[in-house]
Amino acid sequence: MSLDPPVVAEGLERHFGDVKAVDGVDLVVNQGEIFGFLGPNGAGKSTTVRMLATLLTPTAGSARVAGYDVVRDAAMVRRNIGVALQDAAIDPIMTGRELLALQAVLFGIAKDRARARGDELLDRVGLTAAADRRVGTYSGGMRRRLDLALSLIHGPTVLFLDEPTTGLDPMSRLALWDEVRRLNEEGTTVLLTTQYLEEADQLAGRIAIIDHGRIVKEGEPKALKDEVGAPTLIVALDNAHELMGAQALSRFGEPRAAPSGSIGVGLAGGAEALADVVRALDDAGVVVQHMELNAPSLDDVFAEATGHRLEGADDATKQPADEEADMAPRRGRRRR
Amino acid sequence: MTPPPMTAIIDAPYGLHPQPFAQARAIAWRSLLTSRRQIAFVIFPSLFPLVFAALSVASFDDATALPGFPPVDSFLDFILPATITQAVMFGGMSVGSGLALDIQDGFFDRLLASPVSRLSILVGRLAGASVVAVGQATAFIALYYILGGRIDAGFAGFVVLLVYSVFVALAVGGLMSGIAIRSGSTEVVQGSFPLLFVILYPSSAFFPVTLQTGWFQTVAEYNPITWMIDGARDLVIVGWSWSATAQCLGVSGALTIAGFLYAHRSLRKRLAAR
Repeated sequence: MSLDPPVVAEGLERHFGDVKAVDGVDLVVNQGEIFGFLGPNGAGKSTTVRMLATLLTPTAGSARVAGYDVVRDAAMVRRNIGVALQDAAIDPIMTGRELLALQAVLFGIAKDRARARGDELLDRVGLTAAADRRVGTYSGGMRRRLDLALSLIHGPTVLFLDEPTTGLDPMSRLALWDEVRRLNEEGTTVLLTTQYLEEADQLAGRIAIIDHGRIVKEGEPKALKDEVGAPTLIVALDNAHELMGAQALSRFGEPRAAPSGSIGVGLAGGAEALADVVRALDDAGVVVQHMELNAPSLDDVFAEATGHRLEGADDATKQPADEEADMAPRRGRRRR
Repeated sequence: MTPPPMTAIIDAPYGLHPQPFAQARAIAWRSLLTSRRQIAFVIFPSLFPLVFAALSVASFDDATALPGFPPVDSFLDFILPATITQAVMFGGMSVGSGLALDIQDGFFDRLLASPVSRLSILVGRLAGASVVAVGQATAFIALYYILGGRIDAGFAGFVVLLVYSVFVALAVGGLMSGIAIRSGSTEVVQGSFPLLFVILYPSSAFFPVTLQTGWFQTVAEYNPITWMIDGARDLVIVGWSWSATAQCLGVSGALTIAGFLYAHRSLRKRLAAR
């Protein structure tokens, strides 16, 4: 038994040649929380997880997982963690049940106990009916669920999920979220990496935003969004009027590029400033195609912290503000 | 960063006593399961040496009458050890391919993230190849008997040939595992395939060294493959002898150790470089 928080990293670095994939990550994940590691591809999320899971040796810094040092006590770390890596590495020739049996032996679980535990996990992830089918016949969602079951065979205290829902359809994603929540309610500490804003928002009690190998923001999603404060006005303009529009909008906040070629601006005056914005655009003779006001999202938090939007940012995560102005004919431009 | 409250965590409840032997056995079982379910990977590497042996017998049977040719009833007696060697070599190569595939698709990382003994990963794979090698050698010897051949060293000779097959599979398996671990690429392992022919052909495997000429004969005389195959062949065509057994198992055993050390060193190097 250890009195450490389940995951503690201090000044963690990993270099690949001249490239600093992870550049001084400090991290504390408390027992019983779901911690989200949010960032675009190549930000350093997976490299950090691989170091914490003992699959990579840190170039500098230190980390303790489940109370053990990831370098000096790597074997003990492995006994106490569950890991589901980004590319679910599952032998397609074997059946789900066989893979669970193999995983049980690797963790030193006695045969009779392993069988019962395997059945329990198959039931838990809804794969009992497919247990004796080769994994090659499984759908992407089934493979992810099996991957999760494999990572749970020994009842780990800390679970690392590296982009667990990438490539899954919405239904499979929701099912996996439910399972992660259930595990967490049972006491498992979860560190998940994701590039999906919604996933971090829905699942994580706390998140860290990582960009270029550094944590640029950390906290509870709601608190981080509140920090951003002002709602974002997204304005889609006719191409010919983009420059004039940006100039007109600059009176209300600093314009920045938004998804789908739109212009975004944080409205310091809140929704009350909307009427002034419309007047300013009208006075400038700008033709507005579409306009919407969004409450701060994690994407805004990300943008504020990094200066750029998260790749593949899902606009569906944006919560509609009290007001949404649809000022003009949509002409093919739609909210995703 | 504000220090969080300290809380107690308990070691994972199910992971009790990871045992290297059980782990190696489980990995060997997986390897055999894969072989059984992809039987073409066993059949085709076995088929080629058989076809090659049939062609050799048809082409060179008259050569057995040449002065200096070992005392055999037919070319089949002469070529049996080479056929077994060739087949188990090809089988040993699949160890490397499987390992490289595991590295490429991430299964290797799954193993490394568990408390599996690193040595068990290697030993398990090689143990699986050994079982396949015993099966191949037994099938070939059975076929040899069906065609009228006899191992003059009797049952003891049969057992030595099985052990020899295991050693050859382990030696090649070790070499190919090392290549797989260093490269992490199935293409590189498969690209190393001709290496087996380069090792096997300049030897006494398919023709007696005494009847070879020039530089080829010189290379064959010093090729360890010649020494081990000659030992195995003596058991088939001459009869039981401790010296033939020692020559056959000694050389193949030494190659096994060399192959394993190469694979183990490669694994350590790969793990250290992570």
